[in-house]
Amino acid sequence: MSPIRIASSLVFFFVLFAVQESAISLIHFSVAGFSLYLAVAIALIAYEDHDGAIIMGFLSGIVLDLSPTSNGPFGQWALILTLIGYVFASNRESIFDATSAPLTFVLLIAFGVSASLIFYLFFGLLLGEANGSFTHDIVLILGNLVWTVIFAPMFLPVMRSFQKALKTSRQSK
Amino acid sequence: MARRSGNRSRLLLIILLVTSLFLVTLDLRGVSLTKSSRSITQSVLAPVQKGVSNVFSPVGRFFSDIKNFGKTKDELDKAKIANSLLKAQLAKVADNKGALNQLKGLLNLAGQGGYKIVPARVIGRGSSASFSQTITIDAGSSDGISVNQTVISQNGLIGVVKVVTPNSAIILLISDPSFKVGVRIARSQSIGVLLGQGNSQYQLELLDPIGTIENGDVLVTNGSQGNRPFVPGVPVGQVTGVDQKNSSLTQTAIVKSYANLNDLGVVSVVISAPSVAPKTPINPTPQPTITVLVTPTPTATPSLTPTPSPSPRKSKA
Repeated sequence: MSPIRIASSLVFFFVLFAVQESAISLIHFSVAGFSLYLAVAIALIAYEDHDGAIIMGFLSGIVLDLSPTSNGPFGQWALILTLIGYVFASNRESIFDATSAPLTFVLLIAFGVSASLIFYLFFGLLLGEANGSFTHDIVLILGNLVWTVIFAPMFLPVMRSFQKALKTSRQSK
Repeated sequence: MARRSGNRSRLLLIILLVTSLFLVTLDLRGVSLTKSSRSITQSVLAPVQKGVSNVFSPVGRFFSDIKNFGKTKDELDKAKIANSLLKAQLAKVADNKGALNQLKGLLNLAGQGGYKIVPARVIGRGSSASFSQTITIDAGSSDGISVNQTVISQNGLIGVVKVVTPNSAIILLISDPSFKVGVRIARSQSIGVLLGQGNSQYQLELLDPIGTIENGDVLVTNGSQGNRPFVPGVPVGQVTGVDQKNSSLTQTAIVKSYANLNDLGVVSVVISAPSVAPKTPINPTPQPTITVLVTPTPTATPSLTPTPSPSPRKSKA
């Protein structure tokens, strides 16, 4: 991944982060909440090649770690999303098949978001963070999964065409 | 070729994981670089959040504005703040009544004035990518707000200031699992600790082993040393269920907050508390009581002589 791509990805993630923190967070969801940031980050990881998925995971995690509302230490999200990136990179072939099937891909993103939240919770427990009761955490994770399944079909086609355009421009150069 | 690519990926993974763990270690050791990066992010984000909130809030307030047709938003905000102060004073009266009953009407624990507050608008809520429960307000250190100050809404306590930047502040909500506040039961003056549970109900753990909790008991903050993080006498909530387990040393109960955390528009940060406040149990002052002395006389006719005495004991001479 080139330095320019890394810089542009960081800028993209920061803009996405600003949208999440300033607009999405103002919406009152009846159950839990929806993380546009995590859903888009997981989708981008899924679209990337082997090394790109790991780097994209790390970059998205670093930007998410900047969140002043985060109760975890700086670097926790970077660690988790790097691991998620590695899991996606290790299963490159099957995930590549999933990107061509819209419904499967939406479910993959939703489960990816839930997995990252579970990892976050697990690392939080190891670090002694207070993350609430088990029931509350389960409701939050399941709620996030449901909202991702509902909202992902709205932004994935845009992301897909954006990704295709990006790839085409890179190939033509 | 494939093996070389695999080795490179593993090396990349290890480098990035070690970097992440290094950052986690730095943060846990309290290195200011990581802390200040979050503070800078908040400073950058605050104007964006304020702008977005200004754009979106008229849409969100559309129905309430129709309902209150004829009133301006400023009037409503002022009325909300005035209402919050009155409610806080009402709860304080109930709290003081309990204390006065307990101390046989000897002590006057009424507050000597309201809290000095800084009203602020909520411009953001905690990210759903985190398990912490926070809100962001549009007032910061330039308005006199600093870390560890009490935050109230129109109905009572909602949280404490966690992070402050010049123009914004992040409030840790009472519902956050890491939130703890010392509270007092207005009726019995027993003290306890209220713990956030991540939802709209909280757990009360009574510290007084012989104290009792009853359904409907009103809770107010007990106050902290130097009024930080909590000023005394702020209404917190009401007991909705008492845990009757005999196995635990102290009683526990479920508490419902007065404040609706899902509907926070305007909140207030308490920047100074009343000068006189019933934050600690006060020792009762002895009062002269009438003691009946029975004096035996040769005529076998007892006489009753009332005399003041500091002790309520009945003695026979």
